[in-house]
Amino acid sequence: MNILSDINFAFRTLIKNPKFTALTIFVMTTGLTLCIYMFSFIHGSLVAPLPFENGERIRAVDTIYNGMQYQGTSFRVHDFEDIKKRVQSYEVFDAYDQGTVNLSTTDRAVKYTGHYVKESFFEISEAKPQLGRLLTNDDGLSGAEPVTLISHTLWQNMFAGDKDILGKKLRINTEPTTIVGVMPDSYQFPSAGRIWLPYTTTAKGIARKDGDYVAVYGVLKPGISDEQANAELRSLMAELEESYPKLNSNTSAHVWTLQSAAMGSGTPTIILAMELAVGFILLLACINVGNLLFSRAIEKGKETAIRTALGAPRSRLIMQMMWESTLICTISGVLAVLFAGLWLEVANKDLLSSFPFDPPFWWNIQITQSSIIAAIVITLVTALITGILPALKATSGDFNATLRDGTRGAQSKASGRLSKMIVISEVVLSCALLLLSTGMVYSVNQQNNIDYGTTIEDIFTARVGLPEAEYKSDEKRLQYYQNLKATLLAEPEISAVSLTRTIPGNGASYQNILLEGVDYGKKPQYPSSSSVGVDHNYFSVMTINLREGRLFDSRDKIGSPLTAVVTDKFVNKFFKDGVALGKRFKFIETDNDWYTVIGVVNDVIHGQPMSFNIEKPTAFISIQQTPKRFMSVVIKTVASDAQNVPNLAKIVADSIQKVERDAPAYDIKTLRNSIIGRNAGMNFVSELFLVFAAASMVLAFSGIYGVMSNTIIQKTQEIGIRRALGADNSDIYKYFIKQGLKQLVIGLAIGVPMGVALVTMLEESSIAQGSLMLYFSVPAFISFIILLAVYYPVSRALKMEPCEALRHE
Amino acid sequence: MKTLIKLANLKKVFSTDEVETHALSDINLEIKQGEYLSIAGPSGCGKSTLLSILGLLDTSSEGCYTLNGHDVVDINAKQRAAIRNKEIGFVFQSFNLISELTVAENVALPLTYRKDLSKTERTELVTAALEKVDMGHRTKHYPSQLSGGQQQRVAVARAIAGNPSIILADEPTGNLDSKNAELVMALLDKLHAEGATICMVTHDPRGAKRAERIIEIFDGRIVSDSPTSETHIEEAVA
Repeated sequence: MNILSDINFAFRTLIKNPKFTALTIFVMTTGLTLCIYMFSFIHGSLVAPLPFENGERIRAVDTIYNGMQYQGTSFRVHDFEDIKKRVQSYEVFDAYDQGTVNLSTTDRAVKYTGHYVKESFFEISEAKPQLGRLLTNDDGLSGAEPVTLISHTLWQNMFAGDKDILGKKLRINTEPTTIVGVMPDSYQFPSAGRIWLPYTTTAKGIARKDGDYVAVYGVLKPGISDEQANAELRSLMAELEESYPKLNSNTSAHVWTLQSAAMGSGTPTIILAMELAVGFILLLACINVGNLLFSRAIEKGKETAIRTALGAPRSRLIMQMMWESTLICTISGVLAVLFAGLWLEVANKDLLSSFPFDPPFWWNIQITQSSIIAAIVITLVTALITGILPALKATSGDFNATLRDGTRGAQSKASGRLSKMIVISEVVLSCALLLLSTGMVYSVNQQNNIDYGTTIEDIFTARVGLPEAEYKSDEKRLQYYQNLKATLLAEPEISAVSLTRTIPGNGASYQNILLEGVDYGKKPQYPSSSSVGVDHNYFSVMTINLREGRLFDSRDKIGSPLTAVVTDKFVNKFFKDGVALGKRFKFIETDNDWYTVIGVVNDVIHGQPMSFNIEKPTAFISIQQTPKRFMSVVIKTVASDAQNVPNLAKIVADSIQKVERDAPAYDIKTLRNSIIGRNAGMNFVSELFLVFAAASMVLAFSGIYGVMSNTIIQKTQEIGIRRALGADNSDIYKYFIKQGLKQLVIGLAIGVPMGVALVTMLEESSIAQGSLMLYFSVPAFISFIILLAVYYPVSRALKMEPCEALRHE
Repeated sequence: MKTLIKLANLKKVFSTDEVETHALSDINLEIKQGEYLSIAGPSGCGKSTLLSILGLLDTSSEGCYTLNGHDVVDINAKQRAAIRNKEIGFVFQSFNLISELTVAENVALPLTYRKDLSKTERTELVTAALEKVDMGHRTKHYPSQLSGGQQQRVAVARAIAGNPSIILADEPTGNLDSKNAELVMALLDKLHAEGATICMVTHDPRGAKRAERIIEIFDGRIVSDSPTSETHIEEAVA
């Protein structure tokens, strides 16, 4: 009965004060929405369990090269086979391959990513075909009939769901292949695959340096931790490094969950930063609401005193106040779940449309049962935090004194100290949070506006992959590329065409190199460089500037001595005397012959524009000397803006198809869009941090203003006293600004180092970037808030005549 | 004796949207230097309003107010603050000491608003004022550590620290027991004997008797202004 009456009382109190109620609900909803959103996002993406019996023990095994974590097909098949023989920590330790597959029927050709797999691949992912059968290890044996499994999507799109599909043939990389099964739509292990083929990759009969790369996965034995598995793997990789110093120098490996692998090595740091940011925001919201409730409790001091005088036990008074915070937090919690749900829906659409790849199959970014449970727990905890402290504090005063003189006297000094602590906490949290958020946003903004060292805006790109069987010789490939360029140039919309192995912004092959004349000792630590094959006119089409020497020309052809054009960073890093022309180097893993440096050009960024990529040296090599099967076409249009040329994508696709039916073009887009797609993940995170920054600004402003304003209102009488004693307006302003500055300085003294430490932590992963401008402007912004928070309430108080201020209660 | 304060035809009207309240009407008053007068009258008659206007804590609606020969009606807020600081010392019923400041800091407060005093001079003035009210031994205490009588003595010290032309006391014994009230009144007597000009609003007949002149106010008008010896104090302050 008491409880119902207390809830009813709390409810009436909230209705009676609509402004107060709206403000507290707004603040709490902001904090809880961000918190529930983040929980659902992280839970739905990174820590979502794999939907398999042994899902929690399935791991990706990837390489670490020069300290950088790689994922996917990063293991040399020789290394994998050597390790498989000796590794002990796994129930299953196996590999699959992944590659671009050109798939053609009688009337069309398309490109897909194909997975070359073994039986174990299907076993651990509990695969069941929708039609036909799965692949077996026998399908991969030499001489076996070429067979494939296709996805539900491919079955529907390419074969209109033909029920008699089994046994029909497809041309896969020009080879007729029999369809033996169709996988259900839900099967996307380990990523959204479209086509599965038997695993045939082997180390047998292939020189180690020519070995293919495979993706390795495993199922840990029960009871084996990641640390144990990692320790074993590191030890085995160290042995391989010792056995093959040229190929395995600076190479190790590590074990991680599929979820972590899919998100990339920087993700745990980003997630930590997000959790910290959201934690700070929730804490700010709790402090704000707690302070508002406390201020109200102080205002109602007389009512509380009367209740005490009438015999109300303290516990009852505390419970009454607690119900108020519980109601506020519950309403906020419900609103937060709704808002977070809507936001997740928008974010999901945004992610799906902006990401250049399909999301992992385990992604379930929405409000789930776990989100609801988390929301309830977070709401109850926030209700407790925001309610209990104000209630305890407000019921611990001298009620007799309150009743006797009707002043706040007994509590004013204690509440003054509390207010100061609250302002300091708000300054600390908002400063750290703003530095973290703006550091992140600043970094992404810098990345988006970085100079890649080439032109970006008016370039159109497409990727082509030649069928291996048909294009085995360098001459044939070169002939194809000549035909391709001629066909494209025949289109009136196109003014220039060139070719490259890797377009700017995309990751380039990063290999150990050997500089001629340098002794690397018995335990060599070779330097590394990006290697990018380009056509001879690439530099002029992409506006890359020659610094010295010459660019590729007709002298650099098949059979002539290998040549390279290197970047400024290559020179600065490897040639201390600054003289590069005529010097020689070789890529240890892939080349027997030396490359002679013939020219130096400006730096070009390959990969995401993060510091470790920006710092990489690059050696451009001539595709006329080493033509590869996979190449990117770069196209300049007659019109200055490639984006606005109508049907350009179709023109390019059709032209490429004309040259070789079994080599369809894919990834057809402007270079700018390609870069935007690559940076989509970081942009998404940056947008999140922008929301965090905005929320922290709103909460910091409302919180600091609320506390300062309340403190100054409570000191209206003191203002009257000071004015009676001769203080003029400027004296009063100075006094309160000085008070505010003390709290500001203490807050900034803690908040700035905390924020800088967080930014520095993220800087190491190239996720955030600090700058003097940020380190100055964030404290300046908070100082501005403090000044505003002092100025307006003091101005209001000064509008009263001193005698009126003296009578103020 | 020199005229310190002169009010002529002073009015104070409080207006709201619907009501106009005449708090003071046609107030004509002269206070000479060194005088000790009390203002008496029933609750709500306007005596505190008059004291606020005298102390430049409020402005009049009409009329003339001359302080030390200067017209103080049409001066700006900054000039009013400067005059309050130099010419007027306030003693309030509820002491109005600032709880976060020590006794010495409270007494020094009005002096900190003066640009012409060095720190040493301020300290000397504070020490002298506290000695005068016999509170020199409590300089580092906070108001909450003092009795009501002690707090009011500190308030008196604050009022006299800057050697003002006049001390305005608003019910200075209103929050004190009789023993402490007597101590404070004795202190005001002593200050007057030393030459201070005091204007006091009080309900306490015994306190009012100590002034040498009593002004009675009723409904915002001065109804009597006569030496204490000619006034029936009990009736005047009832």
